Amino acid sequence: MARAPIGPLEYTRRTWMRLTLLATFVFLYAPIVTLVAFSFNDSRRNIVWRGFTTKYYERALGNSELIEAFVNSLTIALLSTLIATVLGALTALFLWRFRFPFKAGYEGAMALPIVIPEICMGVAMLAFFAKVGWPSGLPWPFSLSAIIIAHVSFSFPFVAVVVRARLAGFNQELAEAAQDLGASEWRVFWDVMVPFMRPGLVAGALLAFTLSLDDFVITFFTSGPDTVTFPVKVYSMVRFSVTPEVNAASTVLIALTVVLTGAALWLQFRQEKKDR
Amino acid sequence: MANRFLSGVSRRSFLAGTGAVAAGLTFSGKGFAAEDKTVNFYNWDTYIGETTLDDFADATGVEVNMDLFADNDELFAKLKAGNPGYDVIVPTNDYVERMIVAEMLVKLDHSKIPNIKNVDPAFMNPAFDPGRTYSLPYMWGSIGIGYRKSRVNSVPDSWKVLYDSDEYAGKIALLAAPSTVLQVGCKYLGYPLNESDPAVLERVAEMLIAQKPNIRVFAEDNGQDLLLSGEVDLTMEWNGDILQVMAEDDDISYAVPKEGGLLWEDTLCIPTGAPHPENAHAFINYLLDAEAGAAIADFIQYATPNAAAKALMSEEYRNNPAIFPSDEVVRNSETAIYQGTDYTQLIDRLWTRIGAA
Amino acid sequence: MEDWRRGRSAFWLIGLGPTFWLALFFLVPLAIVWLYSFAELRGLVDMEVTGTLDNYARALDPLYLDVFGKSLAFAGLTTVVSLVVGFPVALAIVFAPPRWRPVLLLLVILPFWTNLLIRTYALIAVLRVRGFANFTLEWIWEQSNTLLSLLGLGSYQLLGERFEPLELLYNNTAVVIGLVYVHLPFMVLPLYAALEKLDRSLIEAALDLGASQWRAFLTVVVPLSMPGIVSGAILVFIPALGSFLTPDLLGGTDSQMIANVIERQFKSANDWPFGAALSFLLMYLTFAALALRAFVARGRGGL
Repeated sequence: MARAPIGPLEYTRRTWMRLTLLATFVFLYAPIVTLVAFSFNDSRRNIVWRGFTTKYYERALGNSELIEAFVNSLTIALLSTLIATVLGALTALFLWRFRFPFKAGYEGAMALPIVIPEICMGVAMLAFFAKVGWPSGLPWPFSLSAIIIAHVSFSFPFVAVVVRARLAGFNQELAEAAQDLGASEWRVFWDVMVPFMRPGLVAGALLAFTLSLDDFVITFFTSGPDTVTFPVKVYSMVRFSVTPEVNAASTVLIALTVVLTGAALWLQFRQEKKDR
Repeated sequence: MANRFLSGVSRRSFLAGTGAVAAGLTFSGKGFAAEDKTVNFYNWDTYIGETTLDDFADATGVEVNMDLFADNDELFAKLKAGNPGYDVIVPTNDYVERMIVAEMLVKLDHSKIPNIKNVDPAFMNPAFDPGRTYSLPYMWGSIGIGYRKSRVNSVPDSWKVLYDSDEYAGKIALLAAPSTVLQVGCKYLGYPLNESDPAVLERVAEMLIAQKPNIRVFAEDNGQDLLLSGEVDLTMEWNGDILQVMAEDDDISYAVPKEGGLLWEDTLCIPTGAPHPENAHAFINYLLDAEAGAAIADFIQYATPNAAAKALMSEEYRNNPAIFPSDEVVRNSETAIYQGTDYTQLIDRLWTRIGAA
Repeated sequence: MEDWRRGRSAFWLIGLGPTFWLALFFLVPLAIVWLYSFAELRGLVDMEVTGTLDNYARALDPLYLDVFGKSLAFAGLTTVVSLVVGFPVALAIVFAPPRWRPVLLLLVILPFWTNLLIRTYALIAVLRVRGFANFTLEWIWEQSNTLLSLLGLGSYQLLGERFEPLELLYNNTAVVIGLVYVHLPFMVLPLYAALEKLDRSLIEAALDLGASQWRAFLTVVVPLSMPGIVSGAILVFIPALGSFLTPDLLGGTDSQMIANVIERQFKSANDWPFGAALSFLLMYLTFAALALRAFVARGRGGL
């Protein structure tokens, strides 16, 4: 049976397009694959391949500092994502719904965290917490509070942008219809708007999560003793002792995020099937 | 060869040693009551023995929380805004000076550190901290040239190969430390390491700008990795880093040029505002102990200023010129001193110029 | 859109949280640094805000303007390359069967999930002299040589005596590759979003009217996806301008960007007021780029 001829718009079925796509993915994934492959390298300095071993995984999983740093980073990411998503959604709602004086200035201010160089913000947060005399030595997880606050500050405007883009497509008539049917303002919000915003919220939350997990500069400037985070720990390891342990830890992190995202997507997919 | 460097002291002898240490350490019970049993240690990565922290906890019941920093500037920037809770820190000599001037260090109570007698007398009165009021030595070493024996025409005995010649164009690396590179450049031109005359420093900068096409990279801290992987054949590096790759590759060696190099010393200090000063003193005392010091030196392969610990080390360690430079080299080399904000700003400006040229 | 006075309680309820957070945990810290840029050093640790303009005067020195210029060039080049690489990818995803689209998008975003530092270090492993890029090229070279020998041309050594590995690391090329690598998802996603909303019938119409594929692409697809292109460009250009880790780890002696200089002021140079002045200049530069974009957008009839 002959294959259906390629339609004029079916760009993806054209060979050169496929090749480009393939080349791009090779470019994107070659370093990752190298990273994962070298996590099995039997060499302390991990420059040249010397043999296969899984001992560095054992080392990584047994390295309590690394685990602690990992847990810290995850905690920070989860908490800051939670707060940032709520704040970002509120911001988006606020800007979408209301007209008020100096709105353009307000929007500009909201864009600042996206625009500011990371190091500038890192120093600003350091100076702020020092001047205010932020308490240190708090029990976990409050010891992470300074870092979490800093993370929320730079990520919630991103969430706001994403949610706002989603809100732009909201059909106001739906809200009006609900109100006509007697729903209170709160119910309109919760039962009509939030479900509509959900894809934006999910996308925004994922973005905030990534930004937090990936951050280095700002985290470094806001952390203290007992609050080593994963990127900071890796940075010091990478500078001094680049063992495959680092690769092993990173591979685990990648695997974890893949699983989490896969789970989130799968839940989403199931939800959509149910809604249909 | 790799294993010999990294496991010189066998586990059995070490465990025996720890017992002796625990029995031998004397701590005054008073003073512990007020502090909880932790000490926050801010240190360079992998700059401690394999079991040192655990042994200290076993011996005294005080837990050590070790936090990491990657360079002195980081340490300084972190503490500048106020001590976030560290008890013991490990700054390098010229930063100790800065911190003393900035009143960021606590005077050490020598009576709480009886192991101070273990320190080699040569280290007890340095220019940057006379009488060791604020700091005690931890490790010391040199900065020199790491090189690949099979790829050089002759053993590099002068800084010329890095600073002023295209003999190995494209295969050399220098450190990415502005002050170190410029200071050593002064040494090469025959001036003192701590030359502060702007005209001389400008000359060094011009020389580096002319040399730039031959330099592959200014390596942050991984010059030794570049050497190992073959990206470069000669690199300016700290001796300990080169030693680590020498263990993995016999073709690599280390030399300090005849003009002399830079001697550095890492020290133990207590920053102001430390929450556990008593525990801090106890910890420093422990690190200066002969057995503990020997274990640390054996693991990280840097030169120890602790005479008692050095006496416990193997012949190979003591006679290794890469760890303990020859007397001549020590004579020709100098330690860096802190010279005030104008000097620092000039260095940075010259470095920016070198980078932008 | 409602006037705020009409829904007053809702206005305050919704708006208070974000505003408070932004003000206290962002604007105040920023203001502190802004004040620092007008400060003078008093010894090693203290600074006194004297309202001096010395720091800005130093920052406007040709030496530093030069570095600013170079950073703009790097960021610009990165943006262009990202666009060229990202556009086909976005196009391919949009026109892929609907089942595949989320998967492909995920595949594009996934590398982004890895920590920046680790990704950059992995890139080093690929680009260095004994890295995979060169290994692959060497393999190709050897196979070609074998082929040539089979053809009887071996003795001429047409491909050179020995394989000379490409120096792909520690130079400006590496920095651009690294910056593109890090920022590509930021270009692909907005492009995808814009292209998805594209009305395909317009392309079909153009093709029906006799335009070639290429012509249809240039005259229909590109202009309609302009908002996406601009968003993507902004999302790549600005972080690239302020990045310091990538040039630090991948760059050679020539690859100093403005963020590296700023970083040094807060660290080895210990000159916070000057660093603050430089960072604020960087921010003003960024705002200028944004303003330019808004200006261009308005000129095109509010697209």
